[in-house]
Amino acid sequence: MKKVMVGNHAVSWGARLARVEVISAYPITPQTQVVEELSEMCADGRLAARFIKVESEHSAMAACIGASAAGARAFTATSSQGLALMHEMLHWATGGRHPVVLANINRALGPGWNIWTDQTDSLSQRDTGWVQLYCETNQEVLDTTVMAFRLAETVDLPVMIVLDAFYLSHTAEPVDIPDQEVVDVFLPTREAHRKLDVNDPHAFGALVRPDSYMEMRWQQQEAMDRTHDVFEAVEREWQRLTGRRYGAIESYRARDADLLLVTSGTITSTARSVIDRRRERGDAVGLVKVKMFRPFPTAALRAALSGVSRVAVLDRNVSVGHAGIFAEELRSALYDLPPDDRPRVQGFVLGLGGRDVTPAVIDRIIDAVREDRPIEREDLWVGVNP
Amino acid sequence: MPEAARSRRVPELAISSTSTLVTHTGSWKYMRPEYHDRVAPCNQGCPVGIDIEGYMALLREGRLTDAADLLLRENPMPATTGRVCHHPCESACNRRELDGAVAIHAVERMLGDFALERELAAPPVSPRGTAVAVVGSGPAGLACAYHLARLGHRVTVFEAAAEAGGMLRLGIPEYRLPRVVLDREINRIRAAGVTIHCGVRVGSEDLPWGTLLARFDATFLASGAHVSRPLGVAGETAIGVRAGLDFLKEVNRGGRPSIGDVVVTVGGGNTAIDCARTARRLGARSTILYRRTRAEMPAIAQEIDEAEREGVEFVFLAAPVGFTLDGDRLRAIECTRMQLGPPDESGRRRPVPTDERFTLPADTVLTAIGEAIDPDGLPLAGTGTAIPTDMWGQTARAGVFAGGDLAEQPRSVADALGAGKRAAIGIDRHLRERAGAPLEHREPDALRLGGRGNLSMTRWRDDDPVPRVAPLNEVVTYEDLNPAHFERANRHEDWSLPLEAAVGGFDEVNRGLDRPAGLAEARRCFNCGVCNECELCLIFCPDVAITRRNGHGFLIDLTYCKGCGVCVTECPRGAMLLTREGLS
Repeated sequence: MKKVMVGNHAVSWGARLARVEVISAYPITPQTQVVEELSEMCADGRLAARFIKVESEHSAMAACIGASAAGARAFTATSSQGLALMHEMLHWATGGRHPVVLANINRALGPGWNIWTDQTDSLSQRDTGWVQLYCETNQEVLDTTVMAFRLAETVDLPVMIVLDAFYLSHTAEPVDIPDQEVVDVFLPTREAHRKLDVNDPHAFGALVRPDSYMEMRWQQQEAMDRTHDVFEAVEREWQRLTGRRYGAIESYRARDADLLLVTSGTITSTARSVIDRRRERGDAVGLVKVKMFRPFPTAALRAALSGVSRVAVLDRNVSVGHAGIFAEELRSALYDLPPDDRPRVQGFVLGLGGRDVTPAVIDRIIDAVREDRPIEREDLWVGVNP
Repeated sequence: MPEAARSRRVPELAISSTSTLVTHTGSWKYMRPEYHDRVAPCNQGCPVGIDIEGYMALLREGRLTDAADLLLRENPMPATTGRVCHHPCESACNRRELDGAVAIHAVERMLGDFALERELAAPPVSPRGTAVAVVGSGPAGLACAYHLARLGHRVTVFEAAAEAGGMLRLGIPEYRLPRVVLDREINRIRAAGVTIHCGVRVGSEDLPWGTLLARFDATFLASGAHVSRPLGVAGETAIGVRAGLDFLKEVNRGGRPSIGDVVVTVGGGNTAIDCARTARRLGARSTILYRRTRAEMPAIAQEIDEAEREGVEFVFLAAPVGFTLDGDRLRAIECTRMQLGPPDESGRRRPVPTDERFTLPADTVLTAIGEAIDPDGLPLAGTGTAIPTDMWGQTARAGVFAGGDLAEQPRSVADALGAGKRAAIGIDRHLRERAGAPLEHREPDALRLGGRGNLSMTRWRDDDPVPRVAPLNEVVTYEDLNPAHFERANRHEDWSLPLEAAVGGFDEVNRGLDRPAGLAEARRCFNCGVCNECELCLIFCPDVAITRRNGHGFLIDLTYCKGCGVCVTECPRGAMLLTREGLS
């Protein structure tokens, strides 16, 4: 069934198809529609889930963790300050190995108060141990939501689905909704590997001494390492059932390119059209879209970028005091390549707080990189008025 | 690099390797939660001593017959009190603080009507061979007779009027209490084993006091207060000035006296309201003259509202000082304007006359400023305005008990029913002691629901059908509750007869609530102080130390309860208390 829907509702439909059992959330623009739609689904019986209203995002995540510990499939959604408020509980979800799924609608952090898109909120949670999957279209949002549960419950790690405010959250696109029977085959009822049981009570989350803490962290790292293969397998099965897959990264018209853009989120779509036009003119540019930010797809990116002379990373985010976050992660991942294969990586910070990233902006970046001249710091902050 | 062996040993998350049952968290506690049945404020507020909370809980479970049985153990005439009682229970109801008191009167009425409809009867009892006389068949006499009969005593009621019911029949207009309801409730009392002789005035030649007292093992005096207090104003013997109670009695017997077009009733109690509303039904313009303000009127507030709706006018802060006569015919009532001074012994502000005078035209003036007893007709010497009794209702004369309007107590149907029960307990106790078979020692305080005057028959009989968990005779206040767990729900208001139909005759005006609405109203009850198995303690206990008990309620496993008190805080109804560990 095809349906025209906004990205927020694509999340809701994905969660519904996944037959989530517990939803706990606190409203925040631009996320609110996600759980609003889910609450209606719960109210009218389309979804047999417990909807728990709470007084904060911290409590929302705590409730999801509790539900997950009890063996339920738990879901929440938030944005920006709400995600920041969850921070402590995000670590707890990872440490407790709770496969909670969270949809974060990228929104700039205040102050200045700003409801528009910006990835710094989710990227600020880089070190919480959550899998992070960025989306480009509403179809990808729905598909990723369903796949996120399967992935999370396989590796016992929490998964964050990330989508741009307004460009996806409030923009309507046709979305193909898979049949429930198909999803039920792909994602059966959760079989928790361990859960709270009053008849066999164990303490969860208790004190761990220095002689064991590192081993637990090591196992989280191992689970993250496994996630690369598991995600690929999950996507393969989803493709078998629906015909669609996205990849941890996707190379677009990258063959023979001497310059590749690295993008994520909806900027990717704009960049695709810029590349199409340039390719028509014989300009050998392409792009690599990064969907999976954690675990970082180091091997895939090395393979995709090795031997390319120039790489421009478009970051709709910034680690103030350093640079765009994707760019820095990428540099770190490529550092061990042999010097001859190592591309020159330039990072551009742009579109913060929802500022438009138009084809002209991307064209200017490509032109600047092509010129091979030293680029001033201001030029790396595209369009900024210092 | 990980050390392989160690890596296998450490679980992937912080989870205890053994069951946490080895950790006796109960050893940490210095506070201990306990379940207790406490007293709901409505139960304390009810002069009859009804377990209101108890029948509300049974109604919540849909157990109408059990609820009616519990009610009938304490109150012989719930269909009557559901209609005419001033329901102090509702003034006490904790739900007032949230969104309006539970409409207890309407639930009681619904349940009372259900009992009549199903013809629920008292269980048969084995006779004890003792005979008790009851003088007067008003609510006090009927209640005493009913309870004594259920305790196995043979009871004979003597009533001077032609029919049983006392003030319920003579004083209360039919539009408030249809006679078919009263008749059926009295029939149920008869069916419990009570003999009622009407048309017999004790103390007359037909049945002298000496004969009566000699023939019965004990006697309960409940002949009421029928002497209307005079205004003490010159001219009140004129034609057109009459006692309101006499007027009501005449109408209630079916008379339709001629009262003219303009009637003024003096007084602020229920008799005054009854007179004024009855006068409206006889076609008169009807005014109430009261020396204080509406706020001080002792009448039931709902009755005042009804009177107002029916077009009764009110003149407050005014008292009669004389009458204007045309020959021996009344033309007007002369009044003085009053003002409120400092509070008197009743706590209400005392009315003080001013110099201002005014006149109200009147064809009839009805006086309704209270009734006195007639001490001359009683077998007790030295009785003044009321018969003194002890805590069991016993008078100075051994074996003779008294209650209702004869005794020193509030003049209400509920207080009369409560006094009848108190005397029944007193007489039962007296006769058991005389027979050398006293019940185990039970002081009145232990029989009271809370700290006021009412007594519980189930406590006296020790046959409470409601399972009780460690009962405490403490009343639960709103502060003891956790209102976060209660949803707001509007009180169901009684349905009333449309105005024209109401004033046009003597059909019952207030029609109460139908059964679905009554049951819904019962579900508004907080069940203050009594566990109704809502399970919140079980849900909230962080140590899973609370489990279901077989039969009723919950158990606390003190081996694991660490005394955090979450259950006590979460309990919506104050049915749990936290006590210091080691103290009893």
